[in-house]
Amino acid sequence: MSDHPTPPRAGSWPRPQATPRIESLLRIESDGTVVALSGKVEYGQGIRTGFRRIVAETLDLPLDQVRVVLGETASTPWDMGTFGSMSTMTDGRALRAAAWFARQQLLVRAAARFGVAIEALSFGAGQVFAPDGRAVSFAELVRDQPLAGDLPEAPPRAAPPATDSPMRQEAMDIVTGRAKYAIDVRLPGMLHGSILHPPTLGARLESLDPAAAEKVRGVVQVVRDGDFVGVVAERALLARTAAALLKATWTAGAPRSGGQDIVLESDPEAEEAFRGAARVLKAEYFVPHVSNASLGPSAGTADVRPDGADLYTATQRPFPLRDEVAQTLGVPKEKVRVWPQLVGGSYGKNGAHDAALAAVRLSKAVGRPVQVAWSRAEEFRANTHRPELRGELEAGLDGDGRLSAWRYHSWTNPHTYGEAGRMPERLIVATSGRGAVPEYRLGKADIQLHLRPGKVRTGALRSLAAAPNTFAIESFIDELAEAAGTDPIDFRLAHLDDERLRGVLRAARELSGWDARPPEPGRALGVACAAYHGTYVAEVVEARARAGGRVRVGRVWCAVDAGHLVHPDGARNQVEGAVTQALSWALFESLAHEDGRVLASSFADYPIATARDAPEAIEVTFIGRDEVPPTGVGEPGAVPFAAALANAVYRACGVRVRELPLRT
Amino acid sequence: MRYTLHVNGRPHEVEAAPEAPLLSVLRDELGLTGAHYGCGQGVCGACTVLVGGKAVPSCTMRVAEAAGREIVTIEGLPPAEGRLHPVQAAFVREDAMQCGYCTPGMIVASVALLSHSPHPDEEEIRDALVPHLCRCGTYGRAIRAVQAAAREMATREEGAA
Repeated sequence: MSDHPTPPRAGSWPRPQATPRIESLLRIESDGTVVALSGKVEYGQGIRTGFRRIVAETLDLPLDQVRVVLGETASTPWDMGTFGSMSTMTDGRALRAAAWFARQQLLVRAAARFGVAIEALSFGAGQVFAPDGRAVSFAELVRDQPLAGDLPEAPPRAAPPATDSPMRQEAMDIVTGRAKYAIDVRLPGMLHGSILHPPTLGARLESLDPAAAEKVRGVVQVVRDGDFVGVVAERALLARTAAALLKATWTAGAPRSGGQDIVLESDPEAEEAFRGAARVLKAEYFVPHVSNASLGPSAGTADVRPDGADLYTATQRPFPLRDEVAQTLGVPKEKVRVWPQLVGGSYGKNGAHDAALAAVRLSKAVGRPVQVAWSRAEEFRANTHRPELRGELEAGLDGDGRLSAWRYHSWTNPHTYGEAGRMPERLIVATSGRGAVPEYRLGKADIQLHLRPGKVRTGALRSLAAAPNTFAIESFIDELAEAAGTDPIDFRLAHLDDERLRGVLRAARELSGWDARPPEPGRALGVACAAYHGTYVAEVVEARARAGGRVRVGRVWCAVDAGHLVHPDGARNQVEGAVTQALSWALFESLAHEDGRVLASSFADYPIATARDAPEAIEVTFIGRDEVPPTGVGEPGAVPFAAALANAVYRACGVRVRELPLRT
Repeated sequence: MRYTLHVNGRPHEVEAAPEAPLLSVLRDELGLTGAHYGCGQGVCGACTVLVGGKAVPSCTMRVAEAAGREIVTIEGLPPAEGRLHPVQAAFVREDAMQCGYCTPGMIVASVALLSHSPHPDEEEIRDALVPHLCRCGTYGRAIRAVQAAAREMATREEGAA
């Protein structure tokens, strides 16, 4: 569902992780349960269910005989983090290989036991059967000799495409209120902590008067460690009340400056191509800071002991968190265990571990378990926010209305951890440059990325720079189509070679009845498309809009090619959610800030889309071929939405919106 | 102060400051963590419970106001332990959830809606869900789940009549 650093280049994605041995990925327990292990975490995107299905299907098992363990650092394989819509592509594939290997091993062992050929055996419900009806359970086959060995790549799936969709594993717990989130963790002897946040980014603590806070009944300790200040108390509300009584003075941090400028494409003939163009168009687009605004605020509980620590938190990166905590405490990595908890929404922010790290410092100071759970105001003011992005576009069309020259300069901030001016170029391109180079035949191109520090703390949000870049580029493509006198879908197809992207565009055209529904005053369809980490998506959005009036979203059609679908309804749910979240960004969201201070502290100051604003209907069609390995679906649906909507608004009322949130 | 809270059909004696939010008492004193803290300002709906049959945000209701009234949380929705209310069942069937943080609030609000308006149209359902923010964007599915639950409850009603 969300994101931070990764792929080597914009437009490509990493190879699946090396998955050397089955022992690290899959084991069969004495009761026959197959346990699948992955270092990824679940935060509503449904990978637990998807992984379970992959393993169950490969071993012909009922779903409830597979248990999936995710992200627990004590038992699962090392993992960089859960982001970029890649879990199914990497770990899904690895678990498929592990289950396939297990199947082969079980067959070999059963054949030896029964004295028959492997081909004569059959599988079912956790047992292997001989032709004469003799049966042996998986558990029996591994009792004296657990599965072991190097994993070969699994052959392509032979199973028919998935059509049904099993219930999400967490569903029953969620609807009955039994589901436990990071804020619901209760440890014996646990105390609660609250943090004093610096008023602006990088501010240094000058003085602290803790007297009033210390007098609050139930306060255990005020902890100061450099610029870090926190209060530990018996109860959460007391800790918060006491923290508000701390008297602190701060010195503003040095203004952040510096930056990095990266050339993504630079055709030496670009200038000449512009001079030779029949027509040149120029436009500037702007996307403001938006907040992650997860419903569940950041929370972490730490139990730090002299010899190690246990940490219970919502995280997208349990292993890097473990390493960071081990380093902070000066203990070996294995002495720190991270237990990922259910996440109340993530979309990128749970790569930042502020609450968990604060809990570690406080627990270390008081020698008891401490929980730190942020308030909504802290969530807005202290968490990371999506960077701003300004896109300067210029394009030349030749006499036939084809692109002959292209310029895109994108000005933005770090979309992941790091400071502008000090980040590896590769990382910047993969994060802040994501989506900056479209798939079109652009002619002679000059594409540059200008990274600058954000005015507020910035970080990862669902699809990183891809959504803002695509808003600029795909809106501009419609401007060019109009200048060329061509239908927006025809114009795109005329500049695209990628068959899968062409495929989703054609599917979206058909699905939406595009050709039968030309724009009429006040109501029109708009289109946009994107390729994102191996997934292709085209969206057609119906807008009702008048100049100076409110914009309403009618129906939305999405055509998606994500290869083989592991869990069709789960994938549909992800795309619907991505569209709805992107609608919220596009219509409502802009984080107010002043001199480095975030002004919003509540959903009243920062409205997001409600049930009233959600599209009338979202129709999602998957057109991926079953023999193509699965790719991610959590983020791609959010990428083209704003442009599709802005393009619809233009066709409905003639107002070209080049700045979000969208106003006519 | 000591208060008697009637929660999910049972009385509970609790010790709390009069201005303590009902949400904190439910979560910290009674261990009912199905109502979630989302904003503490009564604007996100994640902490919704039924008080006297009405859906209210428990983060802005003071415990003194709630004392003596009938409180139902997501954990105590009828019919009973081990069985789901038709609204809960419909949310599962429609997979009307992602991270699930807002889901209990939406379910509780939908139960309240259907108790006073058994056959709501889509607009009415949307209006009832407006106070419930869902960042994952599951509104469309939640609306479908409430429609399905309404149909299911109507069928049962007919069966019983």
